[in-house]
Amino acid sequence: MGFFDKAKRLFGLSGSGDEESAREEESGGEARAPGGREPREEDPRLLAAERAGKLDPRRRDRRPPLVEAAPQGPGVEDALALREAGNKGAALAMLREIDKGGGLRTVLRAAAAMEAGESEEVERLLPVIAKEEPRYKLLLQVAGALGDAKAARGYIERAEGEKAPAWALGWAKATSEDAETVREGLVEMVFADHALARTVAARDLHMEGVEADADAGARYAAFVHGRESIRRFGARQVAALLDEARKVGGA
Amino acid sequence: MRSVLSLYSLDRPALQGFAKELREGLLADDRERLANLLELKGALAERLGETPRVIDWFLRPESNPEAAPLFSSLRRVAKKRALELQWTSPVPSLEGRLRQYDLLREDESLAKRIDKLLSASRLPWFLVRPGATCGWLDGAGRAELASGLRQVRAALPEELSAFAEALGDMDGDAVAHDAL
Repeated sequence: MGFFDKAKRLFGLSGSGDEESAREEESGGEARAPGGREPREEDPRLLAAERAGKLDPRRRDRRPPLVEAAPQGPGVEDALALREAGNKGAALAMLREIDKGGGLRTVLRAAAAMEAGESEEVERLLPVIAKEEPRYKLLLQVAGALGDAKAARGYIERAEGEKAPAWALGWAKATSEDAETVREGLVEMVFADHALARTVAARDLHMEGVEADADAGARYAAFVHGRESIRRFGARQVAALLDEARKVGGA
Repeated sequence: MRSVLSLYSLDRPALQGFAKELREGLLADDRERLANLLELKGALAERLGETPRVIDWFLRPESNPEAAPLFSSLRRVAKKRALELQWTSPVPSLEGRLRQYDLLREDESLAKRIDKLLSASRLPWFLVRPGATCGWLDGAGRAELASGLRQVRAALPEELSAFAEALGDMDGDAVAHDAL
């Protein structure tokens, strides 16, 4: 649990909490905000100096040197494009090539292998997928990608069982088809992460008069990239893969 | 005109109670209950019924002229229920001093507590105003910061010295805010 979560708990905004544990965290823990966003207070000296246009030269010296970006190789987007063009074999080959041993690439590779009947490859990859952290994330991305409230419910419940944070569950509910669930999700998100709630309301729900919050842009994009990639690949295939991963200890 | 920082004592149970009532009202989409909670009357109370859900108002930016008075009411009532003004700095330079004064920045513990007191992420969404400086420290954190500042008080400029004294005179949790 991040520091801001603790602070919010102390105000009764997201579940229950105790002051002692929050104080322990105050005394040393890494500050992380809901949803894994970078803490805004990570280095306030830098932020304040930057805001004032007076970056302390001593601080500037401590910054790591800029490195040139490495040339980009193929990515998930390229594999999905191949797949959408009907070339599933080439897409699987590319996913094998770009797989870094975990994360979305491994998940899509395993789903493609399962679809192609490559059972040995799937068996090898399932334990990796079963250990994916945070365990709730993939479940909620699949739930969102399914676009079917009934089919998604089980994955949301599994994510709840994996202690998904309030903002993530709220997001999943906010994109539901059921009006009451949408309202519940929006309220949960507002209390857990107001900036992200506004961004989801603007970008996912296209609500009138609502604007995306620049402060939540990175958090939004990180989650949505996975969800949209899964949707493009085929949410039902990935859902079936998660069901298999569950049999070997997955969420 | 530049804003000035104020210190408020926080009644945390009262704020928790307010947050609970607000959340329940929004979850139930109970417009009458929310209008009463936010002490809205007339056209403003009716405005709550103009969106598909009441929560929709609080997803709009505060720059939206129709949503602005609703946000203001929310903060006003939360303040009335849970905050009490203790001190206001007479000078706008206090925030800059707190964030940049070398002596404070070189002491990691002091700097960390100051940054928490000035971090809006640590306050409930309904107390945060866009662009405002605000934050919270619990009672122990406030006392530790006050004590740390007292130890270096002789070397502090006037505005920081006054801030240290005000912080030390308080009891319990402290909220700093420059736009409440």
